[in-house]
Amino acid sequence: MSALPLQKAVGSVRSAESARILGTLVLTVAVIGWAGADLFRQDLALLGATYALLALGMYMPFNLAGALSLAYSAYVAIGGYSVGLVATKTGWPLPVAYLLGALASAALAVVLGFATRRLSGFYLAAVTLLFGMAFQSFLLDAKDVTGGAVGIGSIRPLTFFGSELDRQTFIALTLLIVWIVGVAVDRVRRSPFGVALQSSRDVPAAVEAAGVGVPALRLTVLGAGAAIASLGGGLFTTANQTIGPDTFTLHLVMLAIFMPLLGGQGSAWGAVLGAVLVVELTFNLQIFERSGSLIFGVAVLAVLLIAPGGIIGYAGQGARWLRGAATRTRGARR
Amino acid sequence: MTVLLEGEGLGKSYGGVRALDGVSLRLSAGEVLGLIGPNGAGKTTLVDLLDGAQPADRGSLSIRGRKLTGPPSRRARAGLARTFQHPHLALDLTVRENVLLGAAAPKLAGIGGLVAGLVAGAFRPSGARFDATLHRVADALELGDLRRRCGDLTLGEQRLVEVARALAQEPSVLLLDEPFAGADSGGIAAISAAIRAVRAQGCGIILVDHNVDIVASLVDRIMLLRSGTVVFDGDPAECLASPEMQDVYFGTGGENVVA
Amino acid sequence: MSAQLWVSVVQIGCFFGLVALGYYLVLEGADFFNFALGPFAMFSGLTASWLMAKQGWPLGLAAVLGIAIAAVLAVVTEVALVRPIDARTGGGELPSLIAVVAVLFAVEQLAGTLFGRQLMPGRSWLPGTSLDLGFVTVDGQTIVLVAATIVSFTGVWLWMRKSKYGRILRAVGSNREAARTLGMPVGRVRLVAFALAGLVVGLAGQLFSAKAGVSFQSGFGWALSGFLALVIGGTGSVWAPLAGGLLLALAQTLVPYYLGSASLDYAVLAVAILFFALRPSGLFVRRVRV
Repeated sequence: MSALPLQKAVGSVRSAESARILGTLVLTVAVIGWAGADLFRQDLALLGATYALLALGMYMPFNLAGALSLAYSAYVAIGGYSVGLVATKTGWPLPVAYLLGALASAALAVVLGFATRRLSGFYLAAVTLLFGMAFQSFLLDAKDVTGGAVGIGSIRPLTFFGSELDRQTFIALTLLIVWIVGVAVDRVRRSPFGVALQSSRDVPAAVEAAGVGVPALRLTVLGAGAAIASLGGGLFTTANQTIGPDTFTLHLVMLAIFMPLLGGQGSAWGAVLGAVLVVELTFNLQIFERSGSLIFGVAVLAVLLIAPGGIIGYAGQGARWLRGAATRTRGARR
Repeated sequence: MTVLLEGEGLGKSYGGVRALDGVSLRLSAGEVLGLIGPNGAGKTTLVDLLDGAQPADRGSLSIRGRKLTGPPSRRARAGLARTFQHPHLALDLTVRENVLLGAAAPKLAGIGGLVAGLVAGAFRPSGARFDATLHRVADALELGDLRRRCGDLTLGEQRLVEVARALAQEPSVLLLDEPFAGADSGGIAAISAAIRAVRAQGCGIILVDHNVDIVASLVDRIMLLRSGTVVFDGDPAECLASPEMQDVYFGTGGENVVA
Repeated sequence: MSAQLWVSVVQIGCFFGLVALGYYLVLEGADFFNFALGPFAMFSGLTASWLMAKQGWPLGLAAVLGIAIAAVLAVVTEVALVRPIDARTGGGELPSLIAVVAVLFAVEQLAGTLFGRQLMPGRSWLPGTSLDLGFVTVDGQTIVLVAATIVSFTGVWLWMRKSKYGRILRAVGSNREAARTLGMPVGRVRLVAFALAGLVVGLAGQLFSAKAGVSFQSGFGWALSGFLALVIGGTGSVWAPLAGGLLLALAQTLVPYYLGSASLDYAVLAVAILFFALRPSGLFVRRVRV
């Protein structure tokens, strides 16, 4: 009846995959429009994009492969400092800094992953967290490189064919990058590589027996995830034109764990949704004032307890149930 | 017949207890070798040593005359595939995805392959290029709807998926650790047919099972293990009638009689 | 190194030791590191400080309430979170780890929301009292902390030896499956272990925040320090966490003294990697009882 034209329209989109890509693009453009020229909204959008990249960086190693690293604050900071250093000490274009930051973070993640390859669970969590702490001290301590407690300021903006990008355009670009990374990570999830990743979490022995070296697999995604998180730090720093040791604190890593859980681990978009929720709860909701983080923490506990699929997983279940219900009533009528 | 797999003096101890003591074996192309013996005789340990899931304490292994060492992934790339006594499937993934792992694994070998797979995944995620292998294996084992979650399958169906994943690797040596346990009669027939089919293509198969009747109907040769050593190696009919067999399964050694 | 530094080593070491004792109890009972113990200690200290500063409560009452709340938090964590999640996921390590990190975060934010996000200065339990040992002066709060540490460790040691539940806890810690097969109340003992750990770290949080002050984010660092202390000490005896705590405090005091402040975090990381790689079971290992 009234649902039919809609079904036709949905049917003309070739597959669920294209629907997902187009839908998320529409949402991304909507966020760009919503942020517009409003400075506060731009800040929210930028923070959301940074958190989304952090969560997407965590998604492949942790949510898909079950390889835990709590050193993500360091990876994000490397992306940021890489921009700061390239902008102030060289004349190279800033995209070089994104690349260098991503490579450095990936290399660090691989080395740390290799050094801790025999550890698991609580021990691995503790060592990687301590690494994050040591890195924080390093940022404060190595004043010649990082500027110490002051950090690096007056970072030049990104230029595009000779003209400087204004903040509004740059943030729009950042949001589009998040969309691209989101699409890419979600496609990886469903690819043979992603299948190997997800199998390595539950049945590593079977993945080994099939011919994929699990240690190398883990290191590969730890590196890729660190590179993605570092990109987030680089973009954030470019937009704010300053970076310091307090920009990305150790507490960030807890958000990184929780965001995909809250949004839903079943899809890379769950990580992005989780990032949006964090920003909304902790920064935008004025009514809750300072209790936004508490609501976030309680929401994570609630998800852990009653909805392990996260919000997207729950919504998906609801949609399947509705579809099932519709089919059932149609069948009954026939 | 060409010798595919050759093991010499394989041994494994756990805290002073010898689980496997100087076992040697030869497997030829197109041969099915049955591995039987009571619980604790060392059958699964032997499979683990062959596949590299556990390192051997003593002995050497070669495949087609080349040394076979290293972790299971390297041995898989040399042509070895195995199934596990308890099915090792990613229960959240579909039947198709679990079998796809076997088909795609060779492309994901090594750091280069992994990075290529990661990048390719971002652009071409479907894995459709493995569909031919997937469907051939799925049809051979009558897997049914490939979109089902493996967690929703019965143990017998999970066995079939596990065997399918190993077959999708297109191995030259196939190690099957109790593939019939929990399978229904249809599953047993499908797995038996699949074993005969890959045997005809020149694959060497080592079949571990408790069910002596099924093993005897499928294999060219039987190795009887007891307390980590080979007590009989030869023709199936001779083995069943041999005094060693009588002693292991029906003797007064206090060991359980296994049907 | 001046003698006064040794006093602070003992003081910090006792605190780390108490937190590690909390870890030890949960580890024996549930085979699991409860990282949320740090925030429980923080919550205990912050509750009391807030009650005294903002509501004018007397010290004794505020402290007792703070410690009780820490124990309640520990019990609620076990009953409402760890147990159901364990049951659903089949007791995997990663889900429990995520669950306690979520508790850690939520307790932190709860404290920040309730009591404000600024540092609450400490208030000594024994102001005006100090002990002059000739070469060094020990202030009142340190005396209280050391005394409480000795009493707590002795108490737990006696409890694990003499009481019914304490003995069961030891049995469970050395062989869970056997204990279950023998029909011991494994679940109830687990709960008792959580509650007792809550009491111990609640007391630790009280005493340390009275000395050093406390803010809603203090618990994170305390959780890590307590964990390291236990890893260094091992689980060989009830006293091993105290030894680990003292050693960790010694390292944390010596290293910055000789090598500068940033090297502290490097040193801690190095010690951790060294221990995890070489001796994950700690210095004092229980002899395996077969």
